[in-house]
Amino acid sequence: MDRLRFYLNDRLVEESGLSPTTTVLRYLRDRAHLTGTKEGCAEGDCGACTVAVLEEDGKGAPVLRAINSCLLLLPMVQGKRVYTVEALKEGGRYHLVQEALARELGSQCGYCTPGVTMALLEACHREDFNEPWKLDAQMCGNLCRCTGYRPIRDAAARVAGLRPADRFARALAETKPEPMELAYTAGPQRFFTPATLEALWDVLDAHPEARFVVGGTDLSLEVTKRFAEPPLLVSLEALRVLRTLEPRAGGHRVGATVTLTELEDYSRATCPPLERMARYFGARQIKNRATVGGNLCTASPIGDLAPVLISLGAEAVVLSRAGERRMALEDFFVDYRRTALRRGELLAFVDVPAQPAGARAIAYKVSKRRELDISSVSAGFRVVVDEQGRVREARLAYGGMSARPARASRAEAALVGQPWTEASVEAVLPLLDEDFTPRTDHRGSDWYRAQVAKNLLRGFFLETLSEPAPRLQERHAATVQVR
Amino acid sequence: MSSKIIGRPMDRVDGKLKVTGKAQYAAEYNPPGMAYAVIVQSTVPRGTVLRMQTSEAERAPGVLAVLTPRNTPKLPGADKFSAVPVLPRLTAMQDSEVLYNGQPIALVVADTFERATYAASRVRTTYVEKAASLKLEAGLERSEPALGNFGMPPPGHTRGDAAAALAAAPVRVEASYRTPTEHHNPMEPHASIAVWDDPEHLTLYDSNQGVFFMRQFLSLLFGLPPDNVRVISRYVGGGFGCKALPWPHQIMSIMAAKVVGRPVKLVLTRQQMFSLVGYRPQTLQKVELGASAQGKLTAIRHTGYSETSELDAFTEPFVNVSNMLYACPNVATSQRVVRLSASTPTFMRAPGEAPGTFAFESAMDELAHALKRDPLELRRLNHADKDPEHGKPWSSKSLLECYRWCAERFGWQRRSLQPRSMRDGDALIGWGMATATFPAFRMQASALARVMADGTAVVQCGAADLGTGAYTVFTQLAAETLGMSPEKVRMEMGDTVLPPGGLAGGSSTTATASPAIRSASNEVRRKLVQLAVADKESPLHGLAEKDIVVEDGRLSSSQDTARGETFAQLLTRQKLTHVEGKGDAAPDPAEQKFSSHAFGSHFVEVRVDEALGTVRVSRIVTAMGAGRILNPKTARSQIQGGVIFGLGMALTEETLRDPRLGRVMTADFAEYHVPVHADVPDIDVHFVEEHDPHVNPLGIKGIGEIGTTGIAAAVANAVFHATGKRVRELPITLDKLL
Repeated sequence: MDRLRFYLNDRLVEESGLSPTTTVLRYLRDRAHLTGTKEGCAEGDCGACTVAVLEEDGKGAPVLRAINSCLLLLPMVQGKRVYTVEALKEGGRYHLVQEALARELGSQCGYCTPGVTMALLEACHREDFNEPWKLDAQMCGNLCRCTGYRPIRDAAARVAGLRPADRFARALAETKPEPMELAYTAGPQRFFTPATLEALWDVLDAHPEARFVVGGTDLSLEVTKRFAEPPLLVSLEALRVLRTLEPRAGGHRVGATVTLTELEDYSRATCPPLERMARYFGARQIKNRATVGGNLCTASPIGDLAPVLISLGAEAVVLSRAGERRMALEDFFVDYRRTALRRGELLAFVDVPAQPAGARAIAYKVSKRRELDISSVSAGFRVVVDEQGRVREARLAYGGMSARPARASRAEAALVGQPWTEASVEAVLPLLDEDFTPRTDHRGSDWYRAQVAKNLLRGFFLETLSEPAPRLQERHAATVQVR
Repeated sequence: MSSKIIGRPMDRVDGKLKVTGKAQYAAEYNPPGMAYAVIVQSTVPRGTVLRMQTSEAERAPGVLAVLTPRNTPKLPGADKFSAVPVLPRLTAMQDSEVLYNGQPIALVVADTFERATYAASRVRTTYVEKAASLKLEAGLERSEPALGNFGMPPPGHTRGDAAAALAAAPVRVEASYRTPTEHHNPMEPHASIAVWDDPEHLTLYDSNQGVFFMRQFLSLLFGLPPDNVRVISRYVGGGFGCKALPWPHQIMSIMAAKVVGRPVKLVLTRQQMFSLVGYRPQTLQKVELGASAQGKLTAIRHTGYSETSELDAFTEPFVNVSNMLYACPNVATSQRVVRLSASTPTFMRAPGEAPGTFAFESAMDELAHALKRDPLELRRLNHADKDPEHGKPWSSKSLLECYRWCAERFGWQRRSLQPRSMRDGDALIGWGMATATFPAFRMQASALARVMADGTAVVQCGAADLGTGAYTVFTQLAAETLGMSPEKVRMEMGDTVLPPGGLAGGSSTTATASPAIRSASNEVRRKLVQLAVADKESPLHGLAEKDIVVEDGRLSSSQDTARGETFAQLLTRQKLTHVEGKGDAAPDPAEQKFSSHAFGSHFVEVRVDEALGTVRVSRIVTAMGAGRILNPKTARSQIQGGVIFGLGMALTEETLRDPRLGRVMTADFAEYHVPVHADVPDIDVHFVEEHDPHVNPLGIKGIGEIGTTGIAAAVANAVFHATGKRVRELPITLDKLL
């Protein structure tokens, strides 16, 4: 396909000539004149531009996802169905999400409301809405400055998981997947979505300068904030093999284009440390688009996934036309925002090995605001303790402590062979100051980071005393009974 | 009588419009031929523009104009503002002086937004840089006495002899507090579309808090008669103060529209909202309290500094709460401002009261600790039975009842006095409280009400609804007064073709407009009754006016309600298209005999993880005595929203400027942390029933801002109770607790 083709509120849209880096938000407001979708920040932080997209999940089943349209480029909805707030009222009847929001007074100034409405629509159609904390996770990507959130929460509690027989249910049941494959040119810009690895290699042979994109939650910021016009983007979204997410050799294979939402769901039962990190990774709308590979390939020192995966002993699996190359994930990061990828290569999978007997593992993210924030310090820890209670292996990986995600090698070495006790932990803490020289910025001073790095290791010891891979504690009940 | 509509928890009348995306905001008008403007901002904190290279931008595709200080038209009325004491003097490319980093220095207009944005990135500027003043502390020596904003009296007050009383006080506390620069961040970015209908007539679609105020300013600035300027602002996506005054973008869109001869749209980006519009200035405050051994306040001294720009002397009047909150014979308060190389600050939700109550109510908690007394008991002991500043009686005050309700609901009597004495598992638990206060006042307004022949009504008042619920409560008020069902009444606001309404500021919208709406509606009702009894064809002919009941759009005899007719029947028979009434309202001098404030209290529970320094607020109980509540549902939302606004102030919100360049480093939602869904605890809001016959004819006090006062102190006091650490600098971030 050489034209943009998607469904907007169930109407087929075909476009050509538009820049492939046009965001869905700009398209909706400026060209389709659907101004219900709002622009609050144009960088995925506020959720006012949330739309619902009907697409295939990793297993090929249709799902309705709430997505920030400000970070969504038009070619990313190729063959998909996009719904805006204008689609909710059917035959003169308000959708139950709209009724609930209006009734609970979930709208004041109204500017965040269309985005809230669409996030609630996803909640309404989720099949896994069975625990109260999911309400926070679902809604925390929608900022509201008026209501104090309680009325929105009340409305959300009324509709989440109801799955009414509305037009979206019909679309979910009836939609046949359309190909995402695309080779699109507009002016000096091109956008390819190859459907096979072979086609991908051909594109890369012809255009070695091509940049990869999947969810676009990072790259789109260059477009909306720095006004970049990338000449050639190659989307990996149609390559099913990269979306592999399955048990493998006692561990897990995680494809590079697996979304954070999928990773969170998958790891809940299979890998508690990974679930912890996925939970606080970001807003629901971001997690619905952001991918494992995207997060790792930005190679940011405060990327959330690197420390936990390093601590679990993950390997990066790199593909090119020439074949496969593997490396320890810590070696994938070579410098500040630089990876070991060579031209013509892509990160295809992250293989998480089986966890050895006696392993204790956990992940932490510390940020000013618990939800929806960038880490000050993050960490993934795993120690393997033998039957005598001695540390056989220690992997202590940190983010936010140096130019790249890195292991505390001196502290690790000192722990090995020691009994796994509080005294041993205390004894190696000073070595963290030798392992890292953190910087001061507005997310935390060098002193604060160094102190938190130590406290996290202390916390790890205490938290894993009784359970080797503890789950997240759920939100405390609001009221404390004092004796 | 079933027509009691005021006081009902009615759903918002604009709720359905908003959940369908149909409410039209300023940026969503689409006049034919519209062009797009993008502002270029300075990249140095202080200096002069030496040279601007604009040729590349001018040659870029679609560009219609590039305005710089060299070719920007001079504003006919610019000099009129230099005479106004404080505000609003604006940088709108009238000269080449750069007073702060991010100042508008050029404007690019093009046929699309993308092309304007691209061309704006091609403007190259050379500056002669000058020394900038960027740090509040470094400017204290050259500080100036604070003026009153808009001709209000300067903040500060003296009674008795505070110095002597402090020296003699058996118990004293003295502490310094600091609050950071904060930005309002309404969800809707500021937006203007300027349309010159002809060379003498201007229409501005704009997101603002008062169309008439905006019109007055623009007509003065552009030298136009006010009637030639129309300002439309029907739906506003939040304001909180930053959309009250004009900012450069309104002026620049109007200038650009004149230059290119087309309508021009100018929308700020989220980043630009951190430099092109106002903010709450940072403050440095010192509070000294003296008390008897029993805890009776004998002296209050509250002084400090706030930042302002080189252009204007805006004051954050934080000491005023200390003048009136408690009974105390000796008080000395005063403030100074420090001019920095920064943009001009402005009113932000509870200006003065929000940072002022943080310092003063923290100090009261410190005093309670020094006295080893319960903080609530200390406040009860020092309750002011009349206004201690002016010696006037309160128009009404229910603070003691607020304390009582909160304490009972919260379970305060189970609180242990000692800090660090309450735990739940790993978490330290802290309970804190503080008093909330905000003055009540009103402005002038007019309203028009019309009952139409089809039995519906239109009520008009050019006030603003920023999301507060004004459309809803005014509909209720008009419906009840007219004797109609609210579904039949349409409220129109936010347009200068309507009768003048006030500015949405100082929590005064409802108190300002309600009497005008009531009197306009009363006039219509009276006329309808008179028409009916005088009409030979009417079933009510010949009855006395006082014997007519008006309900649900129908007039009937009070003796026999079956005898009557509807408004529609009456008007149709009379061949009238409508019956109309007008109302005007202004503050009554008699109201000045009383001191009018809303009062309330917040009780807060926090959970602190000491290993990480994280604070979570788990519970808030708030009670308010805030006059007549027209709609408990919208009112509760206003208080909850205000409380969460204060929670952001307490825990996360802080604007940071680069110490060398003065550029705002936290200029987006990723770095400027407003509270998110999961930060919000259970909030229990209660209104104490209050009948205030003195404040204004309807007994309304205003509830938009009081929720934000006191909350930061209540959190800080709870954190102290949990940890024994007194944080005197907001926000209470994790590093301050480690």
